[in-house]
Amino acid sequence: MFFKMLKLKSNIALFTLMAFVLAACDYEVSPWATNPDCSDRVSIEYNIKRLAEYEKQVGPRDTYQVALISDPQAYPGTFQDILEHVNTLPEVDFVLLTGDLADTGIKAEYEWVCKVMEKSKQPIFAVIGNHDALAFGEEIWDNVFGPQDYSFTYQNSKFIAYNDNKYEFANVPDRDWLAQETQGDELRDYTIVFSHIPPWDKDLELSRELKDMGVDLGVHGHVHRFDYWQLADVQLPHFATTFTKEKEFGLLSINPAGFTLENCNLSRCEVAQVRNR
Amino acid sequence: MRSLNSYGDLCQLSEVIVLRVFWAILLMSLTLSSWAMEEYMDVQSGSLMGLGHVSYGARFNERHNVMVGAGYVPKLSYHREMMLYSLRYRYDHVAQWNIGGMTFKPFSVGAGFLIGDHSDLFLILPDRYPEGYYAPSALRIVFNYQASLQVTQKVNAYFDMSIVDVGLLGYVREPEFYRDNYDYFGLEGITNWGFGVRYVF
Repeated sequence: MFFKMLKLKSNIALFTLMAFVLAACDYEVSPWATNPDCSDRVSIEYNIKRLAEYEKQVGPRDTYQVALISDPQAYPGTFQDILEHVNTLPEVDFVLLTGDLADTGIKAEYEWVCKVMEKSKQPIFAVIGNHDALAFGEEIWDNVFGPQDYSFTYQNSKFIAYNDNKYEFANVPDRDWLAQETQGDELRDYTIVFSHIPPWDKDLELSRELKDMGVDLGVHGHVHRFDYWQLADVQLPHFATTFTKEKEFGLLSINPAGFTLENCNLSRCEVAQVRNR
Repeated sequence: MRSLNSYGDLCQLSEVIVLRVFWAILLMSLTLSSWAMEEYMDVQSGSLMGLGHVSYGARFNERHNVMVGAGYVPKLSYHREMMLYSLRYRYDHVAQWNIGGMTFKPFSVGAGFLIGDHSDLFLILPDRYPEGYYAPSALRIVFNYQASLQVTQKVNAYFDMSIVDVGLLGYVREPEFYRDNYDYFGLEGITNWGFGVRYVF
């Protein structure tokens, strides 16, 4: 009897010990944690440095391309397929990821998308989307990627990312900041803005304001289809990239004569034609 | 930029009422259940259910269980302080082995609703959004697997692995992505684990 009791107690002790050993590891206390396992390689700061180093290395380039990928939410696998394809395109110097990286804003979704972003051979820049800010997504975004509004210059063109998710954030886009960023005396070929949502129907005046600030092109996502439009009386083109589910992406080609936009899948691209509205 | 994290008082009040009523009704229905074969108290940690999660459960025949519970996560460097509420179903397979005088039950599976109670999460869509714009951010469906060890007649200890709804959906849609990037057939990328102890009344 005594030995039976001793054996039972040993087993309970063993189980308790195992539980404590396991508890010492990092386990998930809820779906709403804010510490995704993402490396610095996805941060905006890291990628700006990486692009500056690359520019130094290659020197002036008359012609280059920018891959435009958007809304990988809930489909990290197709996002990976697109990015692996983009990695093989020799003229692509960097990637713009125009929002909705996550679908419900939870940690796990950010981890999956980070896994893919870390595979990018080119610098990759993300801008926050409306779904990214759900739950505690804004905190995750700030920790993992960094600023919600930022800019960088590459080959004499300025690229400006801005948050325009009006349902989730107050006072966006930050028009004063945009005006400040678009100014400058430096030699500049183009000023290109990118955000998740194209100018809202209720705020189309933004397109005119951006045009007045000297912006040449707006690049966006959100609408889950290719779209390329400009207000007839403003003539500032806005290009929306479709979502990744269908393994499609946009391609911006910049050359001395101007820029062109293409709607691409993994086998071919078609030049997009701007429509007036 | 400041986010619009707080919404109307009425909306917030509705959520609080929904949460409390949900939990209270289910707790009462279980405690009053004279038709349960067995009733038990369950304390779990991890596996998405909180740092601690206390549940009251009832077994309705040899295999079917329903549990209702409440969990808690204190303020951590990677987590806001919040309460969690759950309503779960579990199926216990009959397979069992005797190991060192204890009964090992290797296979139970279940699913349940998990509600996070925090002002930045919503069950009812805040007024600023168009109708149906988002699914409730406070509600998740969690699927789980358990292996348990009956250490005494009244005490069971168990290991729990869980998968949140978007994880299961993602794995079904794109298994290659998870298999390419994570170990154990990609399950490492979607599973979470925890452990618990169950006391049968």
